[in-house]
Formats: sequence, C-alpha cells, structure tokens
Amino acid sequence: MSRMYHELPVDAYTSWEWYQREQDRIFSRVWRYAGFAEDISEPGQYISVQAGANNILIVMGRDHRLRAFHNICRHRGTQLLRATGKAQRAVTCPYHDWTYDLEGCLIAVPNAEREYPSGIDKSQLGLKAASVDIWRGMLFVHPDPPERSPSLAEWFGAVDPHLGPVQPAELTEIPAQRTSMEVKANWKILVENYVDVYHLSHLHSATLDMYDHAKAEYGWHGSHYAFWEPLVAMDGDRHDNGGRGGSGDHGAWVPMLFPGIGFATSDSEWSTYIITPLAPDLTRVESRTKRVSKSTWNSLWSEWPSTRGRPEGQKAKVGKKEAEGRDDPLASGNFIAEDNYVCEQQQKSMTSPFFEVGPAAQGESPVVNHQRVVLSFLK
Amino acid sequence: MSLTLHSLTVADARPEIGGEAKSIEFDIPPALGAEFNWKAGQHVTISVHLKGREYRRSYSITNPPGESLRVTVKRVRNGMVSNHLVDLLQTGDHVDVTRPYGEFILQPAPQGQRTHYFFGAGSGITPLYAMARTVLRDEPFSYAHLILGNTDRQRILFYEEAQRLHRRHSNRCTVRHILSSPRFLDGAAAWRKGRIDLDALKSLFSETPPVAQDVHYWICGPASMNDDLSRALGMLDVPGSRIHSESYGYATPHAIDVAGVDSTGSVTLDGHRTALAVSAQQTLLQAARQAGLQPPFSCESGVCGACRARLHSGEAHHRRQMALDERDVARGYVLTCQAVPASPAFDLTYDV
Ligand code: FES
Ligand code: FES
Ligand SMILES: [Fe+2]
Repeated sequence: MSRMYHELPVDAYTSWEWYQREQDRIFSRVWRYAGFAEDISEPGQYISVQAGANNILIVMGRDHRLRAFHNICRHRGTQLLRATGKAQRAVTCPYHDWTYDLEGCLIAVPNAEREYPSGIDKSQLGLKAASVDIWRGMLFVHPDPPERSPSLAEWFGAVDPHLGPVQPAELTEIPAQRTSMEVKANWKILVENYVDVYHLSHLHSATLDMYDHAKAEYGWHGSHYAFWEPLVAMDGDRHDNGGRGGSGDHGAWVPMLFPGIGFATSDSEWSTYIITPLAPDLTRVESRTKRVSKSTWNSLWSEWPSTRGRPEGQKAKVGKKEAEGRDDPLASGNFIAEDNYVCEQQQKSMTSPFFEVGPAAQGESPVVNHQRVVLSFLK
Repeated sequence: MSLTLHSLTVADARPEIGGEAKSIEFDIPPALGAEFNWKAGQHVTISVHLKGREYRRSYSITNPPGESLRVTVKRVRNGMVSNHLVDLLQTGDHVDVTRPYGEFILQPAPQGQRTHYFFGAGSGITPLYAMARTVLRDEPFSYAHLILGNTDRQRILFYEEAQRLHRRHSNRCTVRHILSSPRFLDGAAAWRKGRIDLDALKSLFSETPPVAQDVHYWICGPASMNDDLSRALGMLDVPGSRIHSESYGYATPHAIDVAGVDSTGSVTLDGHRTALAVSAQQTLLQAARQAGLQPPFSCESGVCGACRARLHSGEAHHRRQMALDERDVARGYVLTCQAVPASPAFDLTYDV
C-alpha cells in the first residue's frame, strides 16, 4: 500500500506518473496566467506561454484586439513564434515559410503549384484557436477556442471580492523585482507552504512579525484560496491613518488561486508568484511586482510597511553566530529564502522510506484542502 | 411568416430633438406580454392608414427587454409614415403594431467579458441604444462604447440619456459624437468632426482599446455607411464574423431610386396562378396587392422576410434586402416588397 501524505499518496510528490497526470488534467485544461495586460500593448506585439502541454500564442491585431492560437504550425508542427516580440501583419513559420494572418488563416504556401500539384485546401489549415482573457489587469489563456472555453470572470468570480482593493492595472511594475527561480521541490509542496498558516509565526518569526497572524482570515472559494491578515497594531492604532477607513482595510492579502497562482497584495502593491511544475521535484517560481506610482508611494511608505517583509538582513530566524556559513537561508532575513529552504528539505525527506507525515494542525487545514482540490481535478 | 397586428394604446408620446423625432411608449396588455417580449436590437412594424391606403414601417425598440416598449421615430424627407407619427401621434391613441422581430440581436452573455463598439448614424442609434443599455445592465463584466455620427449637436438622438448612461457606468461606457457639419458652439459635444472613418477608428481603438478577445462591432446606419465602415474595420484586421450590421429599417432615399421595367408575367399564390402586370414604378408586392391578391407581407422594408417568393423565370432588382443571403438570391428568391421587375416577363411563386 502506498504511504499517504494527508490526502495524497507520497507518490503524488515524487513520481513522473503523477506529474504527467497533473499536466494532462490540470495545467493543460484550465486558465493559466500569462502575464500583465501591458505585456502586449500595441498591434503586432505577441507573447507565447507554456500552459501545461500547450504552447499558446497571444497577439494583438491592428484593431487592438487580442487573439490566441496554439503556437503550432499546421504543416509539421514547428513552433511559430518565440517567447515575445513583434510580428507584422502575418506570422511565418521558420521551417517551410507557411504564412498565417492574424486571424490564424493560412494565407501562403510557398511553391504551392509545384509542391502540391493536386492542390492544397488552405481553408482547412488555419491555426487552432485558443482563448485569452483579462482579469484584474492580468492575462490568462485557455487551450479551448473562445466558444468553448469557460468564463474567466466566473472562474475567479467567487474569490475576487477577497483579494483586497488594489487593481494591478493601475499600478506600475518595478522591473528590478522581476525574478525567476527554480526550487527543488514538487509544485504542491510550494503551494502548501504558501497556504500554511501555522508556519507564519514560526519559520517567519523574525521576517513577517509585522503582521498579526492570530487575526488572519482565510478560506476557500471553489478551487481558490484567500488569505488576509492585518498589521500588528503599534503606537495606538497607527494604520488607521490616512482616511483610508478602519484598520481592517489594511494588511496583506495573500491568496493562492488554482493552480499555483499566488498573489501578495497590500494597499499599494501587487505581486504575482506563479508556480510552474518542471519535474516531480523541480518547480519554477516567477515573481513580478507592481506598485503605486512613486509620488503616491513616497507618502504611503512612511505609514505602511511593504508586504514583502523586512529589508534583507535586518533580523533573522537564526542569529549570525548560529548561522551555517554565509549563505544559510535561515539567516538571510528573507522570508522567501526561508520558505524555499523548508520546501526543498521536505522534498528530500519524501524519498526516505522512513518518511511519515504527522497530524495536520488547525493552521494547516488549507494544506489538506489544496490536496483535495488537486484530487478533484484528477478524478 | 406573417405577423399579426395588435392594436396598442400609446402610453406616452414625447418629442425629442426639438420635435424632429418622437419617442412612443406602448401599453402592453398582460395577455400580450409573452408575444411582446423582445431582444435588444429588434424592431416592430407599425401600420397606419393614410389617404385610404395602408402603409407599414419598422422601428427599432429603444429600451432594453423588460422595460416599457418604446420606439423612437425620426422625421425623414418624404417619409409619410414617420412624419405622420412624429407630428400627430398622442398619448392615448391606438396604433396597430406587430410583435417584435428581427435578426439584428444582441444576446447578453452575463458571465462574459466582452467589449462592444456601437456605431450609429442618425437614427441608427435606436437599436444600438437598446443594446448598449442591455449590455450595461445584463453583462456586468462587459464594456460598451457608443460612436455616433450626426450632422450637428441638435440632431443627436438621446444626447442627454447617453451622457447619463456614461456617467452612471463611467468605468465601462463611453460615448463619442462625430459631427459632419457642426454648428457654432457644437465643439464641446463633438469628439471629432467628419465621418466615422478609418482615422476615427484608429483613434477609437487606441483611446479605448478592447479588453482581450471577445469583441463585437455593431453598425446601424444607411447601407453605404455600413459598407464603408465594415471595409474600414477590415483594414484594421477585424474579422467579418464579429461585425453585425443593419441598415435603417425603412428604405433610404437612394435605395428607392432603383428603377424597374414594365413587365408582365404570372404569380402563383396558394396554388392559384394569376396573370400580373407590373409597372416600372411598382414592387412585385404592390402589383400583386393591387390585383386583389393577398400575398404575405409585414415590414415592407426588406427586413422580415415575410414577403419572400421565388422567381422561376425573369429577373428582379432589390431596392434593399436584409432578409436574404447570397445563396437565396442565387436560387432566385426575392423579397417582393423590395423587388422591382428587371425583365419584360417573369414567373413568380409565393408557394416555396
Ligand atoms: S512546419 Fe511550418 S512550414 Fe513546415
Ligand atoms: S415584407 Fe418584410 S421583407 Fe418584405
Ligand atoms: Fe512562508
């Protein structure tokens, strides 16, 4: 009998078989995050996104309308466009120069008379349509064509009211805060860590102590998780400042939408934290941050701390003296380094025959629930 | 499809744009409630008797489904029926009206996030206004942009109403006016001077770009504007499948000019074949009725398709036709209310 990790077998975190099933049933079948709306801001611009098994191309026409297609040449399948760039009015495949217009119609086949003496029906060889939509200023793609894809507004509808007041479309990106890293752990370990309320006052006792974890409010809305916690009250009720309503308006919203779409937002900031499985024990995390414009920010900065924790090195879980060398993540004073460290350690242990999970605490109920959500998609 | 006329009471008749148009609201008796359900963009046909003759004209419903049934009639040059309604119709009058019909329809998608651009010229705003209000009411995630062409500020139907709509939904509704010959002081009302052309479209799409992918373009105006605008949209990569258009529900002056030739032939109706002479000025429908026949018809505007018949031989020109597609035309179908004979002999049948 396979060993269990709460609701899932330990295999779910270590085997290629599970990885493949999740790719097929989850990441290739649901709305995937593709970027901020402004990533495609003028006609001809395009990006391509890997969404499970599908590589989807989003391009803007001269009508400023977005189109989405499977990024696969209908001739022999070559990927048509690379990650980002600017196409003219047409897309030409690098292999044999088949050319498609921005509606996906095949418009040119070179040397057609010689190569296809009995003719070729171009009308049957258009690019396969996919869907693109925008929610809260962010792009999402779905592999089905628009007439068959589910509504994005409905997919995120129930959790939307629990994500705080900030609209990312109104903020400006801080390019320096764009990061991409690979973590040696299963993607579900990263999600579980993100939604684990229990660890906040322990692992992050020194890095996220400006938040009042005991007052956290969290719960599930369909497949999506919402979390909010206030700042610790200091010097009277100092975050009642600024005429922004009661103290309940402030703090951090840290939701995890399905699958692996994390946000961290405050009154003035919006960060994305996108989790993409690469292998059973390897996951990419891409993060971007937007903030209210500089002038507004300066006045807010003096009043509210950022959701991103303390500036590095101020205070750490492990003191300088106990630290295991200069790179000890637990001495980094950076809560993300702390999280990645425990995720990788946990993944390592899962391959040990002696690994056995202990009882889930109250604050770990979202962990167990995420496992149930995953299961519901694999049935 | 023949449409029954119902006598409805005018609940309210109020002048618009200084008496150049009139909004007419009808009382719908509860028994007719189901029949008078409509979809945004549909119209009704109104029948009036003038100088001993019956005339029928179609008018778009200018309220969203669920509100009172309102049509807005604008005075037109030589428009006997429209001018009669604008000048003389009063609250309490009875009018013969068909149930709502028409294929120019906006079906709301409550969970969709769509961007709708509504292009209207003159009274072309009438169906579009009902559509825009339906979107703002029934599609909470969607956007509505109205682009209206008129000669000057005084001629803009629903100017204030549209401003209010924009203010109430300022984050997802815009209203733009293009004036072809603005008067002194009209400047403030106008987004641009001229016509809705390629340049105007370019500015429109960069000022208020569509959100993502699900975008629809609705056009209502004279046939020439619909053609020009569809072509301009095409130049900006808009696929034809996303363009929905309707010409005015009544014949425009230039369309009426299509001339026929004197012709004689036969017409088959309900299994009876009758000889029929049609003069160059007549439509096939007019000639058939004059001969005492009772062929089906309803809108007399080429919109509803009720008067459809098929030519076994001979030719006809359409003044205008919305209710036939190219395949129908190729197979010899005609809308008899719009068709004038183009050959000296013909053989027509209504039994198709
Ligand atoms: S594979 Fe694209 S043209 Fe041959
Ligand atoms: S009567 Fe309606 S199309 Fe001719
Ligand atoms: Fe953490």
